Amino acid sequence: MLAGELNKHLAIALVIAVGFAAVPLFVGERYLLGEVIVFFIWAMVAMNWNLLMGHAGVFSLAQLLFFACGAYGVAMGTQLAGLSIWLAIPLAAFAAMVLALLIGLACLRLTGAYVALLTFAIAEMVRILIVTDTHCFALIQNNCQQLFGGSTGFSRFSDFGFRPILRGDWIVGHYYVVWAVFVLSLVALVVIIHGRLGLAFRAIRDNVGYASSRGIDRQRYQLIAFASSALLTGLAGAVYAGHFRFAGPSLFEFSTLMFVLAMVIVGGLGSTWGPLVGAGVMMIVVEFAKELGDARSIVLGLSIVLFVVFLPKGIAGGVGGLRAIISRPAGQNRSTTATDTHQ
Amino acid sequence: MNDTTRTAPTSRRDFLRLAGATTGSPALLAGLNRTAAAQGGEPVIIGCPAPLTGIVAADGIEFRRGLEMAVEEINGMGGILGRPVEAVFVDTESKGDDAVIQAAQRLIDRDGASALITGYNLETGTALHDVAADAGIIAMHANTVVVHDELVKSDPDRFWGTFQYDPPETFYGVGLLDFVKGLEERGEFTRPNNKLAIVTGPGVYSINIANALNEKAAEYGFEVSLFETVNVPISEWGPTLAKLRADPPALIAVTHFYAQDQAQFMNQFMNEPTNSLVYMQYGASLAAFREIAGQNSEGVLYATVIGALQDEIGKAFAEAYKARFGENASPNGGGQTYMAMHAYAVAAALAGGPGAPYEEDQNRLVADRLRHLIYRGPVGTMRIVPETQSAYCYPSQTKDPSLGMPHIFSQIQDAAADGVLVAPPPYNVESFRLPSWMQG
Repeated sequence: MLAGELNKHLAIALVIAVGFAAVPLFVGERYLLGEVIVFFIWAMVAMNWNLLMGHAGVFSLAQLLFFACGAYGVAMGTQLAGLSIWLAIPLAAFAAMVLALLIGLACLRLTGAYVALLTFAIAEMVRILIVTDTHCFALIQNNCQQLFGGSTGFSRFSDFGFRPILRGDWIVGHYYVVWAVFVLSLVALVVIIHGRLGLAFRAIRDNVGYASSRGIDRQRYQLIAFASSALLTGLAGAVYAGHFRFAGPSLFEFSTLMFVLAMVIVGGLGSTWGPLVGAGVMMIVVEFAKELGDARSIVLGLSIVLFVVFLPKGIAGGVGGLRAIISRPAGQNRSTTATDTHQ
Repeated sequence: MNDTTRTAPTSRRDFLRLAGATTGSPALLAGLNRTAAAQGGEPVIIGCPAPLTGIVAADGIEFRRGLEMAVEEINGMGGILGRPVEAVFVDTESKGDDAVIQAAQRLIDRDGASALITGYNLETGTALHDVAADAGIIAMHANTVVVHDELVKSDPDRFWGTFQYDPPETFYGVGLLDFVKGLEERGEFTRPNNKLAIVTGPGVYSINIANALNEKAAEYGFEVSLFETVNVPISEWGPTLAKLRADPPALIAVTHFYAQDQAQFMNQFMNEPTNSLVYMQYGASLAAFREIAGQNSEGVLYATVIGALQDEIGKAFAEAYKARFGENASPNGGGQTYMAMHAYAVAAALAGGPGAPYEEDQNRLVADRLRHLIYRGPVGTMRIVPETQSAYCYPSQTKDPSLGMPHIFSQIQDAAADGVLVAPPPYNVESFRLPSWMQG
């Protein structure tokens, strides 16, 4: 059963990967390719957040901190330490994982809303420490550069290096680098969610007492969820920095947090593919809401509220429910239909 | 633009390419439009990635207004060589480089922007450079950062199209100290002590100004008694004011530039003012500052290297601007994109028309005209330093006021009106007045 589910979802991942691999063959517009790159990145963050929150039941609000850690790792590794970006990317992801382990050790003594409060407080504290630092660590191009980039962050560090090779088509190189990381992330998530780890995560989420009685150590498994989710999120942050040549505190400010949270909720918390769909839907909504000014935030907030009230399992839950209704034999009791939330 | 319409003005284009600096004005554009062969009705798209929402939206809205007003005027004169101009705006949400890059790319690829014209964004000052270079178009910004100069100098062949149409922030620090020295020499101000308090925000712009002040203070006989960094946005100034009141300085320089934060500073400062001059960076030049601070804004000094002058041209602009957008509109913000748009239109007309995105050869001609243009607008004279592609600063870089963007000092003497320009000559219209809180 476990292997069958795993193979089915790996096949879906393969179809998604092949489909997106073909996009540059048909789309040449730099803006559109750029938007798909950004979609890959936000989808990775949303899916990894979903692993932690939806599957392992850890309501952490530090996910964007791990994302920023990956981005800052690349920025600082290339600009301050002179590392190659190809070395800086895995190191930055590893740094995000180490940070998550430290935060996890401190937070996972708590549960529920207390984890959310503590993780949010830590992320906000880091952001404030960064933006209030004015001490010049280095002078770069006659410009004061703080150790962590201050309120404006880092820019103009090494990117993936495709400009001299591909010239005007450099974005295609960026596209395939981010695509590769995206596919890696998809495969890793499918293997975790539909493997023994995923089962253990959901057992803890659904009934911690019962799971513990069966020998599943809550802290240990939730720490694994924290670390693996942060590793892949840090990787997303690292390639984000490589694509934009930018890492700054706006990456983990509250509005960005709300944006990614909306992707998870709209897509379907606890599902496999919901956050991927949610990322796409929210990016399209934001694209159309660009003209709305401040009302854009209302659109985001409203979509969260509407989905929580009317479709609490998000698009994935809605689709699952619809499929169950369609496949239900006539006359079968409504209460007997179960929606598998990790479709 | 098709090939046929582009070939028509070739001889004039060749002539102008060989010409030296050109003095620009709206009349010049009108003249060029009259004599030029019309290039057809295809609109010239100008993209404006601006902070229309978020913490610096007050400025972003003025940037949009200024650009809209300039576009209307240019179209009234026949557009650019017969082509109407259309402005398209994308909100950068007061965010960083990533948001600015995405907005700029959208304007180029989706809207077909021939040029990007904006005021400033809350980015590192280098976000537009690569986007413009990759698309082979012009980008004009007023980020007021020295990092622009360094970047353009480092690779002029790549960044040929990006212009900072005001001087970098490095002139602010020494400029303020020179201004205070001038007040003292003329007997308009006597410092009660030698202490200088510097209150900065976390942005590179604010920090660079604060550091420049910190470094040069001793040369002007000042001792820095407080160097405070505040987290922004900030509305509660109590801790900072407590330090100022415990050790009152002769001069308080607030280099953090958000108008609403500065206004709150003054509201709280005036509860128990110290015997200090108060200087505020840029934000106090906006109407929003006076609106929030009210009477408490009177006496505040502020400076900008790109603000509306109060001479014939500046006043006419301010009147037209306020008539168009209301009394609370701020010509200081709108004047920036207004001038940049007009300067671009003249340069593009002189070059034989704007190039579309990725038409690098034609856009390089426009850039060349911009580099040699002397354009007098409501915020002063834009003349570009060829090596850095930033505007010359008067009086720091040139002693001729007709050849540089003036670093102007203003003082709010009536909360109901814009601040009055008190330096430098010949643009000053009033004398400095000792603030009311220092008179008793």
